[in-house]
Amino acid sequence: MNKKAGPLFYIFLAIFVFIVMFPFLWMLVSSIKPISELFGDKAFTPFTSKPTLENYVSVFVNYPFLRYLWNSFVVSGITTVYTVLIASFTAYAIARLKFKGKTIILGLVLSVSMFPQIATISPIYILLKNIGLTNSYLGLIIPYTTITLPLSIWILVTFFRKIPFDLEEAAKMDGATLMQTYWKVILPLAVPGIFTTAILVFIAAWNEFLFALTINTEDKFKTVPVGIAMFEGQFTVPWGDITAATIIVTVPLVIMVLLFQRRIVSGLTSGAVKE
Amino acid sequence: MEVNLNPEKQPKQGKPASGKKQKASEKRLGYLLVAPSLILILLIAVWPVLQSFYYSLFDLRLNNPTKSEVTLTYHIDLEKYLNSYPFLINVLEDEAGKANGSAAESLNGLVKGLKEVDASIQDDSAVKKQYDQVDDMLTNMEPVSDELSSVKVDKTDAIKLDKTLHKVSAQVKELKGLKNEEDALGLSSSLNEAVIKPNFIGLDHYKENLTDKRMWMAIWNTSAFTLISVFVELVVGLAIALLINKAFFGRGLVRATILIPWAIPTAVSAKMWQFLYDGQNGIVSRIFEKVGLVDNATDLLTSNIGAMFSIIFTDVWKTTPYMALLLLAGLQTISSSLYEAASIDGASKWKQFTTITLPLLKSSILVALLFRTLDAFRVFDLVFVLTGGGPANSTETISILAYKRMFEQTNFGDGSALSVIVFVCVAIISMIFIKFLGRDLLNDR
Repeated sequence: MNKKAGPLFYIFLAIFVFIVMFPFLWMLVSSIKPISELFGDKAFTPFTSKPTLENYVSVFVNYPFLRYLWNSFVVSGITTVYTVLIASFTAYAIARLKFKGKTIILGLVLSVSMFPQIATISPIYILLKNIGLTNSYLGLIIPYTTITLPLSIWILVTFFRKIPFDLEEAAKMDGATLMQTYWKVILPLAVPGIFTTAILVFIAAWNEFLFALTINTEDKFKTVPVGIAMFEGQFTVPWGDITAATIIVTVPLVIMVLLFQRRIVSGLTSGAVKE
Repeated sequence: MEVNLNPEKQPKQGKPASGKKQKASEKRLGYLLVAPSLILILLIAVWPVLQSFYYSLFDLRLNNPTKSEVTLTYHIDLEKYLNSYPFLINVLEDEAGKANGSAAESLNGLVKGLKEVDASIQDDSAVKKQYDQVDDMLTNMEPVSDELSSVKVDKTDAIKLDKTLHKVSAQVKELKGLKNEEDALGLSSSLNEAVIKPNFIGLDHYKENLTDKRMWMAIWNTSAFTLISVFVELVVGLAIALLINKAFFGRGLVRATILIPWAIPTAVSAKMWQFLYDGQNGIVSRIFEKVGLVDNATDLLTSNIGAMFSIIFTDVWKTTPYMALLLLAGLQTISSSLYEAASIDGASKWKQFTTITLPLLKSSILVALLFRTLDAFRVFDLVFVLTGGGPANSTETISILAYKRMFEQTNFGDGSALSVIVFVCVAIISMIFIKFLGRDLLNDR
């Protein structure tokens, strides 16, 4: 295989990156156009003569967009912390300790991660409705566990398995108990893996749509994806607001991805790739 | 999954740590650490799926008070019953007093019948107690809780009441010209609503759905979407992975670019593409029209094929880079010495691809395919936001149909049946894949 990159390769790469990024670039251009330029002939020009921030202002003034952001942040944050904590115990046990039934447990975790959300929604919705948890943060955090817990166990098991066993043996020889070994030896080494898992879990919770759509129907408790999907104008679709809102949620994501891309990729490919 | 918290051999106290003791405590710790996750998974994932199946056997409608709960027995809503029964008796007796001959006789007969049923309902002492309590509360205008209001009654009594009420309305209609005919009919029908029958209907929802054209159409749409989008994503993703599997300048930047479409919420990207596909002002639909991919820019979201194409195209845009990333990671584990040896032996590039790359990449490809296929099959947000299942249900997937039944028509029984069908399909797909993958996926490394 040719491992040297020629000029042709870079041209191909540029085209590829452009195609992938084109929708975002177009949204960025559209978001700073005055609303009148979103329609008619000017809708197709890739620049604007009168850049404006009115769409961005409108997003925060005409919609409880800050509230949506806060809701998403709270729900995803709590979900991440609590699932990763519980999953780290389980993953440690599966990866490092000897006991029967590990394969079955891992199989259960994997099959639950394949469950379609729609198959769990009716009982969860009726239960949450009966105990009065619809339109609350807890009402989303509980069902999100179905998605995030199997995901984090799956990724963490791979990470825990990579930690050399010698260290554990050495700790044992020095008379450390199993829990001491976990807290003092394994956990510090697993921090990068746990951090990676946390990023992926946070993204999964942040992006969830079906539960958020059905369980939290009040504006006060809507999350960002549902909020943007439900943007509605009085007579027309408020495209100006939608373009601005899209850019607002994409920019932090781009920064996060640029900072953590190496970790995200290692998390995504762990478990999927044999080494 | 036996969660054994008590290992057979308890470690003996006082003795120095032996190998056996360590083993036993390791086992116990293992189960202890796994327990919270297992309990959560059983409660929040496994139980709902089983419960969905249970719901699917009932005629469960959240907006219909007589069918809003799963019930296997006959109940009477005492509040409703007592708000109608005495008044119905009054109206009928009143009419009987004014009527003559045979009419009075038949009206008196109805009153007698109703009173008999009422007496036999009150026969049960427990029912009688609750009956009187609710009656008192209603007289004092106190609010009655749902729990207190609902009482379980004998099947025979409930059926008798139902029959008597049918007789009442039939006879009142027959004796045309009663002064308070409307009152009598209204009271009898609201009394009828107080009788809550079991809503167990067995497999009827499945029978209906499996002969329903719309359901098969949804299955067809879902399968077409899944097959086409996953196939295109695999081929294009593999090509991109092969091309960028080399050292080049700006690797990190390219990788970040690849991750952005994957990381953005599907619902948000669907809204974004809706803007780009717009028939009048959308840039992508304009480009497609210019290059001749569609005859008319408005076709994209308003024609059946155009809408399906739009959805697949968006999905390909969003997930191909991700697929490429997974395959690239697989490619990087293949040692370059294999290719060097092959080229010394004079094997062509294509030969190298089919004899080295593909076989060694097989498990990576299968894992990526498994997760992508399942993801695509349960597609919801993309379709919901981009087309809503339209036009004319041409992009309605099975998850969308189940959602509509449950949350738009509040028919949870039927919706649950559909969601069980989705679950079974997903289970079948994963079983096929796992058969190919074998235990590869789970074994310890």
